[in-house]
Amino acid sequence: MIDVHKLTKQYAGRTAVDGISFKVEPGEIVGFLGPNGAGKTTTMRILSGFMPATSGSAYVAGFDVFRDSLKVRSAVGYMPEMAPLYVDMKVKEYLRFRAELKGLSGRVMRHRVGEVMELCGITDVRRRLIDNLSKGYRQRVALADALVHDPKLLILDEPTNGLDPVQIRQVRELLRELRSRHTVLLSTHILHEVEQACDRVVMLHRGSILANDTPKNLSAQLKTSSLVRVELESTDREVVAKLEKIAGVRKCNEEASNGEPWRYLVLRVEPGFEVREEVQLLASSAGWRLRELHRELPSLEDVFVELASAAETIRGGLS
Amino acid sequence: MRGFWVMLKKELRMFFVSPVAFVVLALVMVLNGFAFRAALAILESAPSEGSIVTWTFQPQWFWLSYFFVFPLLTMRSFAEERRLGTFETLFTAPVRAWQVVAAKFMAAWLIYALLWLPSFINFRIAHWVTAGMVELPAGTMGGSYIILMAMGMFNLAMGVFASSLTRNQIVAAILSFTLSLTHFMLGVFVMVIGRKLSDSIVDIVAYFASAEHIRIFTSGLIDTRPLIYYTSLTLLFLSFTHQVVEFRRWKP
Repeated sequence: MIDVHKLTKQYAGRTAVDGISFKVEPGEIVGFLGPNGAGKTTTMRILSGFMPATSGSAYVAGFDVFRDSLKVRSAVGYMPEMAPLYVDMKVKEYLRFRAELKGLSGRVMRHRVGEVMELCGITDVRRRLIDNLSKGYRQRVALADALVHDPKLLILDEPTNGLDPVQIRQVRELLRELRSRHTVLLSTHILHEVEQACDRVVMLHRGSILANDTPKNLSAQLKTSSLVRVELESTDREVVAKLEKIAGVRKCNEEASNGEPWRYLVLRVEPGFEVREEVQLLASSAGWRLRELHRELPSLEDVFVELASAAETIRGGLS
Repeated sequence: MRGFWVMLKKELRMFFVSPVAFVVLALVMVLNGFAFRAALAILESAPSEGSIVTWTFQPQWFWLSYFFVFPLLTMRSFAEERRLGTFETLFTAPVRAWQVVAAKFMAAWLIYALLWLPSFINFRIAHWVTAGMVELPAGTMGGSYIILMAMGMFNLAMGVFASSLTRNQIVAAILSFTLSLTHFMLGVFVMVIGRKLSDSIVDIVAYFASAEHIRIFTSGLIDTRPLIYYTSLTLLFLSFTHQVVEFRRWKP
């Protein structure tokens, strides 16, 4: 669906996207992840035919984004950041205008506009002026606009930006419904969101790709340690020392217990070690009562921080 | 062409959704009313060479509205798209830049044409009330409206161009006003000074002196030279606008 090869975009004196290559297969939900200024929006603008790249090639649905710009635009539903809309139009009026602009007409157009309004949950505000809508509704109107011509590819730039948690969940559910009919490329700087919604993550940092894999694989590959949380009841003063003797435990911290008999401990574990069974055996042999034993995999946030700092080190080493 | 018609429909609608069209229409009707009243007064006081049409489109009342109409009609066109950020949604839809430019210009021109309808009604009423005493010569009527449309076309094209340069409507309006005024003043000043220097300058300047064009056309003389002049300048400014709108596609 998307085939990007050595794509570079330079603004006056600044490289926004630096020779990135990636592919997106039909039916995938791919998340662009990176801090502000990583090149997410620029890449998306190029893919949606808004502006050309400085060098490299990009194909969307089999068309070159620069040479066949209009065909690409027909195949793509693009929702820019901040959901810009004509504020002095009404919702239905706006969607009808956009649908006509994208080549729909007559009964098909009216039917389709009704359909996307239903899908995005904006049917009840269809006669309201866009200016008077809340941020959440505007975001959904923009999404309905992106969907109205039933595009093969949806490109959504920060679709949950500025929404409250309930609305974010609604958008996420909507994306899941859409996956059967559309390929989705979305960008975000909220890591949790990508973990929840995407099949694959493309991490961008300073215009380059840091990683391109499933969220699970990325977490598994991580070189940093994982955490094991333990809650147990014991008056033994040697608990910390005993736990630290288990192979693979790098460090054991005890959190403040307020004098209660239950104690809360956090074990930092070397990568590749599984210590939970050992902890359980130790507890039963020492007569400790155990009521929580939980392993936390590193989050994408940890992955990102590690990869970004590694990239910085390489950059620093070169210069 | 589909993109053009869809955009034209939307642009025309937006004129009437926002108060712009009504404000401009009211302004022009008031000023035209004064101009018409002044013309009637002239015809009433003494026998006169020109018709009522000639006298309506020449006094200062007419020129007052002339400079305000164009910025008001065009300042929104592209500046508003940039301010709202809809520039991006617009040009990621399958529509060509020239279709958008042409539609925005055409919408402004059609609204502009509408502005002169009340003046036409004024003339017909005067003709009817006086049982034909107030004459409306065909050449004068035709000439007046042709030159009004031609000059409007050129000034609106400059206004659309000014609007494409900025995201601020006020800046667009001031720029558009300045361009119109400069063009007009160039004609007037050089005409005034030119008569003292030499007649040949007057001949050259007559090509772009709007006041002179109005004088000739409202007397019923339809000259093709000003028409070609305004049409070619309109196309020039619209192509500038197209370049500005497409700037992001070819900038380094």
